[in-house]
Amino acid sequence: MELNRSRGIEPGRLKPAGKWSSVKKELVRNRYVYLMLVPVVAYYLIFSYGPMYGLLMAFQESYNPIKGILAGEWVGFDNFTMFFESYYFWRLIKNTLILSFYSIVFGFPAPILLALLLNEVRKKWFRGAVQTISYMPHFISVVVVVGMLKTFSSLDGGLFNVIRDFFDLQPIMFLAEKDMFRPMYILSNIWQGAGWASIIFLAALSGIDPQLYEASKIDGAGRWKQLLHITLPGIMPTIVIMLILRMGAVMNADFQKILLMQTAPTYETSDVISTFVYRSGILEGNYTYSTAIGLFNGVINFALLIIANAISRKLNSTSLW
Amino acid sequence: MKQSIGERVFDVFNTLLLLVIMILCFYPMLYVFNSSISDPDQMLRSRSLMLIPEGFQLGAYKSVFQDTRIYTGYMNTLFYVVVGTAINLLMTSLAAYGLSRSDLMGRKTLMKLITFTMFFGGGMIPTFLLIQNLGMVDTRFALIIPGAISTFYFLIMKTNFEGVPISLIESAKLDGANDFLILFRIVLPLSKPILAVMMLYYAVDHWNDYVGPMLYLRSQELYPIQIIMRDILISSSTEAMGAGADTGFAIGENIKYATIIISTLPIMLVYPFIQRYFVQGALIGAVKQ
Amino acid sequence: MKKRMGSILLSSLLTMFLLAGCTGDNEPGNAEPAEGTEPAVQALTEIPLPITSEPFTIDYWRANDAKLTASLNNFGDMAAYKEKEKLTGIQVKFTHPPLGQQRDQFNLLISTKELPDVIYYNWADAVGGPEKMIKDGRIIRLNELIDSYAPNLKRIIESDPDVKKQIALDDGTIYMFPLLKLDALKLNATSGLIMRQDWLDQLNLKVPTNIDEWYTVLKAFKEQDPNGNGKPDELPFTGNWGPGNLTKLHDFAAAFGVIGGFQLNGDKVEFGPIQPGYRDFLETMAKWYKEGLIDPEIMTNDGKAFDYKVTSNLAGAYQGGVFSGMGKYFNLMRDTDPNFNVTGVPWPVSPDGTSYATFNLENKVLSYGEAITASADEDKLKYIVQWMDYNYSEEGSNLFNFGIENDSYVRDGEGVKFTDTIIDNPNGLTYDQALASYALSIMDGPINQDSRYLDALLFDDGQRAANAEWMKASSALTLPPIRLSTEEVTTSTSIMSQVNTYLNETMTAIISGQKPITEFDKMTETIKSMDIERAIEVHQAAYDRYQSK
Repeated sequence: MELNRSRGIEPGRLKPAGKWSSVKKELVRNRYVYLMLVPVVAYYLIFSYGPMYGLLMAFQESYNPIKGILAGEWVGFDNFTMFFESYYFWRLIKNTLILSFYSIVFGFPAPILLALLLNEVRKKWFRGAVQTISYMPHFISVVVVVGMLKTFSSLDGGLFNVIRDFFDLQPIMFLAEKDMFRPMYILSNIWQGAGWASIIFLAALSGIDPQLYEASKIDGAGRWKQLLHITLPGIMPTIVIMLILRMGAVMNADFQKILLMQTAPTYETSDVISTFVYRSGILEGNYTYSTAIGLFNGVINFALLIIANAISRKLNSTSLW
Repeated sequence: MKQSIGERVFDVFNTLLLLVIMILCFYPMLYVFNSSISDPDQMLRSRSLMLIPEGFQLGAYKSVFQDTRIYTGYMNTLFYVVVGTAINLLMTSLAAYGLSRSDLMGRKTLMKLITFTMFFGGGMIPTFLLIQNLGMVDTRFALIIPGAISTFYFLIMKTNFEGVPISLIESAKLDGANDFLILFRIVLPLSKPILAVMMLYYAVDHWNDYVGPMLYLRSQELYPIQIIMRDILISSSTEAMGAGADTGFAIGENIKYATIIISTLPIMLVYPFIQRYFVQGALIGAVKQ
Repeated sequence: MKKRMGSILLSSLLTMFLLAGCTGDNEPGNAEPAEGTEPAVQALTEIPLPITSEPFTIDYWRANDAKLTASLNNFGDMAAYKEKEKLTGIQVKFTHPPLGQQRDQFNLLISTKELPDVIYYNWADAVGGPEKMIKDGRIIRLNELIDSYAPNLKRIIESDPDVKKQIALDDGTIYMFPLLKLDALKLNATSGLIMRQDWLDQLNLKVPTNIDEWYTVLKAFKEQDPNGNGKPDELPFTGNWGPGNLTKLHDFAAAFGVIGGFQLNGDKVEFGPIQPGYRDFLETMAKWYKEGLIDPEIMTNDGKAFDYKVTSNLAGAYQGGVFSGMGKYFNLMRDTDPNFNVTGVPWPVSPDGTSYATFNLENKVLSYGEAITASADEDKLKYIVQWMDYNYSEEGSNLFNFGIENDSYVRDGEGVKFTDTIIDNPNGLTYDQALASYALSIMDGPINQDSRYLDALLFDDGQRAANAEWMKASSALTLPPIRLSTEEVTTSTSIMSQVNTYLNETMTAIISGQKPITEFDKMTETIKSMDIERAIEVHQAAYDRYQSK
């Protein structure tokens, strides 16, 4: 049983004479760990790898429930070529990547900053209050949030245009300006998500040994120095891991939100793969096509994750594996 | 406490900034809450920011609470959250500890195989068929077992466990402790902050889970609050009206907002109780030992 | 009128058959042997009640409806279905997916081996269409069963060539008992252009009949302050549920002899946006937009914003339905602004003198219908079919359109009137919710929708006038309900997804002034380069097949 689970010997490991004996020794030495991993491995086998044959649908014409997947019509890469050859392919890829990139550049640091600022607050009640309220927007559904954005953007009396008016600017239809889409999307994401995401960094902050702070104070360090030399390094592993994981989600644009926010004048910046495919009506119920797209996205995401992980390992030995 | 002027100025700015953030983040809840107690006809004719309610009525809440399914809904959600999160934490901890042991044979490969599952999956139908073949459709298990480990959270937890000083583990081993003891007596207590976060994240995921119940549950007695709320919500919109959607009646916006409050308020209030885990010094005690 | 003839014909036929075929023996007897199959069956001429003496239960899956759930949980609780169970002796167990989730749930359902006996669904939404459902062996072919056991539906099919064309797939297979609108014109013409009658009265204007008159009226709305508040805040033309582009303006395209998608020119299928008429359309719309006659937020209005604009006396004209666009606002404004009055505007006349509608008013067979699945018990098939056919008999039709006589409705000459149980429901239900607890007509179901139910619900003169006006348009530009094969669908969708994205972007840019009208030529070029000809070919082939049915 145990033998099945240890998939392969690690490369580079010395194999003394008697491969099995060293394996057996290892199993005995760490037997409890292997025991712990039994349910875990069973779980992944059954629930993650089990249904994976469904990926084969990406290479099929359509899905016939009675005959099952193996009997489906094979069309090779047709689903993919249909996707690659569409007129808008490059624009869609570009928008997806740019949107994700900007989300990372602006959206990723925001919760970290929030956590750091909160960390500097002395009064516990104030800190607690801000923390609790800051994650409230996370619970409001995206439909309501976009509804609010629409109200704020309205030409006649909407908040954003009132502000423009204050600066003597003409009112504009924010949702129809292609240059406004990305800022609105990213800023509203930060508004909705920063508080919630900051929780994990707060947890990381509380894992820093207070003795380090004590010691630094004795050495005369002010808060700024403390931040640079204790706090930041202290949460750096968490930051790095979160960043790596974020890189592995680059192709997953927030489909529902974009769909609600986009308008034809903004397609140039707002149309991403998932929204384009959705509007074409192909996606709904056409599992073979949507599986193909999902596969494509998955490949890119995975590749980016591996690259990010490798870079991180070279730079500072923090990595996923 | 001696503070430089710079530091004091910073404190003032920080407080102001956080105050602004707090107001910005509180606004959506205020908007939703006020909309739920406002008079629908008045809301129709106004374009306000909803800083205060327009008119006042509790009719929306009354009509929502009249639906007795709410009570079973809350009970079910409570079940899924408590039992589900417990299993999540158990399984994820086992996985995270097991794979944080750097001397484990096959560790790297196992890690890669697990991470792989974050990116590739069979899709809705094969997963559904699997659940069906396991006989879990329309049972509570369907909402607890298939999602037992979130690979994303697992990776975070594992990284955290790797931060536990190896000296502690070694000395425990010298004292003759086996890995289970180490996990439950040493590693977990030291990881209280991350455990608290994981518990919160998993709990909220369960609370908000609506796709799972939608796919796998059929009996109304098993429905969690999210599904019931959505049902009520859609009843008051044209989405559910098939070919006869041309209706001569204004749909009460306030019902929509009342359902949001009812379905999110409870879970939002859990956090303050978790806060006490985010306190510095969790590690000290152990090292001193 | 048409419907009167129809019901007279139907009732006289029914009476004739009742008198002629009344031999007291209603079970299928032994008659002429069919070609080499089981003992032949004499086709039924009417549905016997009860249908069978061995009770059984039909497993029935269909989407629920918010109108019904206001007072009931399950379609089985509806008065009409309860009565039907009493009369036919067959029980039904309805299973509903959660509201609004029928599409996903259907896809899941269809992928499992065991299906319920009957599925009622909008088969246009089924991936691969009903053709695939039959091919994959999920639902069964009904032609022979209808022939022997469904006299009422059979009669309708044989007496109406349009129904015959529209109900069958290209190979002639009939796969469901559909939602029928035999009185198509009246029942389909329930939406169109709507305008503030009180503003017209105030400015001494008449309802516009062509594009030029529309321009005059809209301009007057903009400049002459009909809402009387001294501010030029009127939005002469606006729209609801903004698609994010200006394609809502395609409602006016018909006035230029084109529609915003595939259209028919005699027997030839064309793509409207690349025709010269479309250029004129764009030019006029761009002019209207520039002069502020179109609400720029027509692209983004949601229900809330739109309601606000209508009830705050900002909106002058818009496209909508008799209920959601007229009745709703009558109800809302009755107390606060008694002058409020909207009317239906006829479809504008095009250069060739005809006024065209942008959607097909003559569709008699909708894609909603109940089908029998391959899991249904073979012995029970004939009973199930009879049970389904009952809805199309006169008795069944009255039951499912109006409810219970003297309970939910009373006769009123040739028509019907709904009782206070419906119109002024004691439990506070709105009339459509009340009616939904009795009958299917207000929602959708496998019935022939009787237009008399509509008449009984159009309370305001404005609504009745609107319905009458909208019926006058010609559907000659629109395509009939053609069917594309699975490969054709794939070809067409992959082409049209790009074409439509491009079209929406470009027409919006031209109308809003971001691109000049000269861009039109480039637009047609680009669309052609996206292989629109192939898509047109595909549709033409489907059309030819439809005509030859």
